[in-house]
Amino acid sequence: MRRGWIWGSAVVALLAGPSAAMEPPELSILVDSEWALGMRGPHSQKLEVVAQPELHWALGADTRLTAIGRLRADAFDRILPGHPRATEVSSFSRVGSAGDHVDFELRELFIETQWGRTWLTLGKQQIVWGQADGLKVLDVVNPQDFREFILDEFDDSRIPLWTVNAEVPIGAANVQLLWLPDPSYHDLPEPDATFAFTAPRFLPPQLPGHLPSLEQTNRPRRLLADSDAGIRIAAFVGGFDLSVNYLYHRADRPVFEGRRGSGPFGPTVTFTPRYRRTHLLGGTFSNAFGDLTLRGEVGWTSDRRLSVEDPSDTDLVGQTGELAYVLGLDWFGFRDTLLSFQVFQSWLLRDETGWLRDRLESNLTFLVRREFWNERLRLEGIWLHNLNDGDGLLRPKLSFELRDDLTLWAGLDIFYGRSRGVFGEFDGRDRAVLGMKWGW
Amino acid sequence: MVKRFAIALLAATAWAGTAGAETLPDGAEVARRINARDDGSSAQRTLEMELIDKSGHTRKRSARLLRRWFGKEKRLALFYLSPATIEDTAFLVHDFPEPGRDDAQWLYLPALRKVRRIAARDRGKDFLGTDMSYEDMKNETKVSAGDHHWTTLREEACGDTSCLVVEAVPLDEDMAQAVGYGKVTYWVDRTTWIARRAEYEDTAGRPKKSAQISEIRQVDGIWTAHRIEVTNRKSGHRTVFHVSDVDYATEIDADLFTERSLRRGVR
Repeated sequence: MRRGWIWGSAVVALLAGPSAAMEPPELSILVDSEWALGMRGPHSQKLEVVAQPELHWALGADTRLTAIGRLRADAFDRILPGHPRATEVSSFSRVGSAGDHVDFELRELFIETQWGRTWLTLGKQQIVWGQADGLKVLDVVNPQDFREFILDEFDDSRIPLWTVNAEVPIGAANVQLLWLPDPSYHDLPEPDATFAFTAPRFLPPQLPGHLPSLEQTNRPRRLLADSDAGIRIAAFVGGFDLSVNYLYHRADRPVFEGRRGSGPFGPTVTFTPRYRRTHLLGGTFSNAFGDLTLRGEVGWTSDRRLSVEDPSDTDLVGQTGELAYVLGLDWFGFRDTLLSFQVFQSWLLRDETGWLRDRLESNLTFLVRREFWNERLRLEGIWLHNLNDGDGLLRPKLSFELRDDLTLWAGLDIFYGRSRGVFGEFDGRDRAVLGMKWGW
Repeated sequence: MVKRFAIALLAATAWAGTAGAETLPDGAEVARRINARDDGSSAQRTLEMELIDKSGHTRKRSARLLRRWFGKEKRLALFYLSPATIEDTAFLVHDFPEPGRDDAQWLYLPALRKVRRIAARDRGKDFLGTDMSYEDMKNETKVSAGDHHWTTLREEACGDTSCLVVEAVPLDEDMAQAVGYGKVTYWVDRTTWIARRAEYEDTAGRPKKSAQISEIRQVDGIWTAHRIEVTNRKSGHRTVFHVSDVDYATEIDADLFTERSLRRGVR
């Protein structure tokens, strides 16, 4: 955390320079408060207040600084009990804590500056790729904090990374070049967390007759050799918004590589979680046709490593390419109403015995959103459904803008389905949520 | 003497009537004159918006509105500056000159950090909670001349000037559905060629909304409306737009009308 500030200060000092025209910084703050009440045996999952101060400072005609912090206080400490140290995240991007109930974080700190027609954004930031809502194919530049599974807004759950981000217009295209010397990966909840993963696909595989043990996660730590890089070329062509994306990175979820041995009580298997390199190549498109917007994204991952429950497999890991896509339709046919439908499919290109998930996996999402009273009242429902396991998540929500600076909402997060499913594993975590957002 | 005076008066009246009829331009010409009004090759201004419901509850927003012509194609970008809960929301439209071609519209939602393409067919949809439609916002006190039948009704006093009263009826039912009304009556100031007032009717002929445009004065030699009040006749909700910091002289960087700039904002 402290190293993060040092990095940031160095970047600011380097770019602002002595000639910077110092205008007063703009300060704002957003305060979110949520109370989540478990619906199976009522108990509070959380009662938290999250304050997010933002500073925007023009350091010259073409240079500006943005800093975003986050302070979170939770009365119950049940989401991540004891506030475990997120070892998956680099020390200079990690969340700090003050006891079990309070954590704080430098969310973002970056300088934007223009160099000719090139925009440089240097510092800790979020990079968002893709066209999908709620599901990710290309939006994987930043890892994710799964403290509340996918119930948090992605803006809040993405882990910002120290990044060199250059955007260069070339002809009609915008070319984005990324270098991410910040080896951080998904922050996965500990086993005692409210939303700890329990579905088999997320755990080390079972090997009958062997005593399992789990080693510490082996997180890459070399700044240069373990950094990621990417490029995105986007253009508006023939009415279509198109992009081609490439990311050279490590998969953000570790694979459990098994090593067999023997111990005093018989055969053993020791799992080492590792992050392996992959190439991600993909693209996006969107266009509007009358009342319809069609959008999609596709991604091919070169070396997906997944656990296999096959006793004949040496390390209990299978390696395959993966093709995934999302196709979405947004329909604006009813006034003040959006109906949105998405199909998401992921296909493992290699057949292997013992995959812990189906080779072809399909998810559907539906979104209905209607605004009332000049967008003062919003009613929405989101439904995510996995066709393979028959599990899913329902999220109805009602929001009301009480004042310019104050919005209130109430909603439900309802999981259903089998415990082996991505959503069904949280079937006992249904909750009602009351919240407010205040901005200044 | 009296008889000769009466004849002369009648003749003068008849001449005046004939002359008046001749000087009233037809509706299409009025629409053309509105759209021919100089509005600069680019424009930037600040919009302060008051959204007032029928009980008087007021919400306020401020935004920076940019417009630039690229040949015959108009591009418009709007960036919300406040309140903090919607700050950085941004909207971009490319208004293509080809007849029948839908505009391209994008919306940047900071909560998603994504620029989303949005359908442009429903031009009559209320613009981001205001009482102005996407069409109104895009037209900036001009009109979609080719999408309507235009008729000049009369000339009458409006405020301190004289206005031509013209009626615009969508070309067909599909167009009426797209723009969200069945008829608009405009009171067009003959001096500035800006409508001072507009009354909208829905497709059933019932009052839908009205607009009052005032505080019209020149900026950089261009007539500019500084206050627009739009009232929804059905809900009683109204929106008051206050326009300030108008600048037609400074050419706006073309890069500001791109998806990239929607994400970056105009701080």
